[in-house]
Amino acid sequence: MFTLGIDIGSTTSKCVILEDGKRIVTKNLVKRGTGSDGPDIAVKKSLEDAKLSMDDISCIISTGYGRNNFAQANGNKSELSCHARGAFFTDPETKTIIDIGGQDAKVIFLNENGVINNFLMNDKCAAGTGRFLDVMSGILNVDINDLGDYALKSMHPITISSTCTVFAESEVISQLSKGVDIHDLVAGICQSVASRTANLAKRGKISSKIYMSGGVALNKGVRKALSQELNDEINFNPDAQFMGALGASLLAYESLKKNLN
Amino acid sequence: MNKTELFKPFYNLANNPKEIKDRYLKEGKKIVLVAPVYTPEEIAHSMGLVPMGAWGADVEINDAKEYFPTFYCSIAQSLLQLGMNKKYQGVSAVLIPHLCDTLKCLGQNWKAAVEDVPFIPVAYPQNRKADFGIKYTYKVYESVIEALEKATGEKFDEAKLKDSIEVYNAHNDAMRRFAVLCSKHSDVSATDRSAVFKSATFVLKEEHTKMVNDLIDAISKEDEVSDKTKIYTTGILADQKAFLEILDKNNLQIVADDVAAETRQYRTDAEVKDAALQSLSEKWANMDNCSVLYDPKLNRVNYIVEQAKKYDAKGILLVMTKFCDPEEFDYPAIKKACEEANMPLVQVEVDRQTKEYGQAETLIETFKDMLN
Repeated sequence: MFTLGIDIGSTTSKCVILEDGKRIVTKNLVKRGTGSDGPDIAVKKSLEDAKLSMDDISCIISTGYGRNNFAQANGNKSELSCHARGAFFTDPETKTIIDIGGQDAKVIFLNENGVINNFLMNDKCAAGTGRFLDVMSGILNVDINDLGDYALKSMHPITISSTCTVFAESEVISQLSKGVDIHDLVAGICQSVASRTANLAKRGKISSKIYMSGGVALNKGVRKALSQELNDEINFNPDAQFMGALGASLLAYESLKKNLN
Repeated sequence: MNKTELFKPFYNLANNPKEIKDRYLKEGKKIVLVAPVYTPEEIAHSMGLVPMGAWGADVEINDAKEYFPTFYCSIAQSLLQLGMNKKYQGVSAVLIPHLCDTLKCLGQNWKAAVEDVPFIPVAYPQNRKADFGIKYTYKVYESVIEALEKATGEKFDEAKLKDSIEVYNAHNDAMRRFAVLCSKHSDVSATDRSAVFKSATFVLKEEHTKMVNDLIDAISKEDEVSDKTKIYTTGILADQKAFLEILDKNNLQIVADDVAAETRQYRTDAEVKDAALQSLSEKWANMDNCSVLYDPKLNRVNYIVEQAKKYDAKGILLVMTKFCDPEEFDYPAIKKACEEANMPLVQVEVDRQTKEYGQAETLIETFKDMLN
């Protein structure tokens, strides 16, 4: 039995096909999110990779910001529920999940059975989100995927004092004009995201293991800074970006099983 | 039950305040706007005036920004905008209580920005329970009466105030019974429930009481229904259509509320007695459990948790009106009390200008998953 989960975010679309709720058959990420052809392309590529057709898929669950607009879905679930399910499947010892997405940051607290018992969301401001890193990588002309490596080479990280992304942009330009080392600037930017996320997380009861999901989890600089802020190890999976889609695919399988029983 | 027919009159009122205003004016009645919250409507009613609720509206705010900074309560901003847009033409006056800093500024700005509707302040004392507080409130009401007489040409008569208090108590009772009925009928949607509360502010209370009593009779004849996830709501305002639709889409049933625009204002009755103005002053003293009412012990916090438990709510949805200082101040204490009581709580921000509720939807969906 194959199930498909699609996570339609603000900047990317991620798709995961599972077999019998256990084996990941394929996963795909397209760098176009809600309101674009990204979701359709992600599904098409996944089906091609898995050598399956839509008729082979028993259930589709959509998640993410664009979850309500994916017509082929049999149902949809919030991205928090899906990230929780995906992360717990990947590592059942997970108690705290930090997901920094394109336009918001979320912290999810799980009990020992992987059930959400609290969650927090920063939905007011682009600072502390993937969008912040995106804007900064543009100013510095550094590929967003390389920000982590740049941060780790820093000897004297600078501090970004502005709370607002727009003002932080001016601040970074000002530092650049002063000739500040770009590695120190990137480290300061990663620290800024980590600090805001840690402050959000501290509003709840953080327990180990802490697991980071979402695209920003791949950024070593943010992970290192977050680990320092929370004084705990930050775990992640190379498939961190797919946790929402994986969770959606798992929930699709579970809903089928529930209906069969 | 044919719900559409039952609730249609309430939607008609809730969605068409301008038509109601025009109807009353055509009938030769004089209208007084009553801004939130706890405005002494009974006084205006007793003088033969129509008190019409003025909680702002989902309008584009532009001119009002000349008077308010951007980060400001949108109820106040939109109310001023409506005034500046001449939406209240023909209205005799506006009563604005000074219960928070925002409302104080609203009154001052109204004076400067809206020339055709006179502003009447209701400067309530926050130390309201002691004798001196009740005496002060009495004096405040006297000044309101004087200003209303000047603005409308109508005369105050304490015997008529006693009658109006009876009218308002009957309405309070109907609204309280309706709220309790909603806790037993999950087939009354959050949107339907809101229409009943919102419509109450626009029409004369005797009209609305009759409508609500008829509605209660009709619903009471039906079997009780309980097939949704029960939640308790708290906040200032929770009447945004898109927001309510998210609650309904997620099968969430509001079993009780602590929302200022809903049951909070119907909790306290005034005693029916000949010294009616004194009675109204004592009513103010007897009010409690509200973010804009001074309470050094913050009893409201436990009240919310206990009410949620009483109505078997699985969680509390705190509907935060953006930039509402009094509600923001109470939030940490509410959060702590909910944690201690193991009562799930989620905060959703709303205002008069939000058009997209995508993130609120994510929060509410996850909250529902968490409760189930």
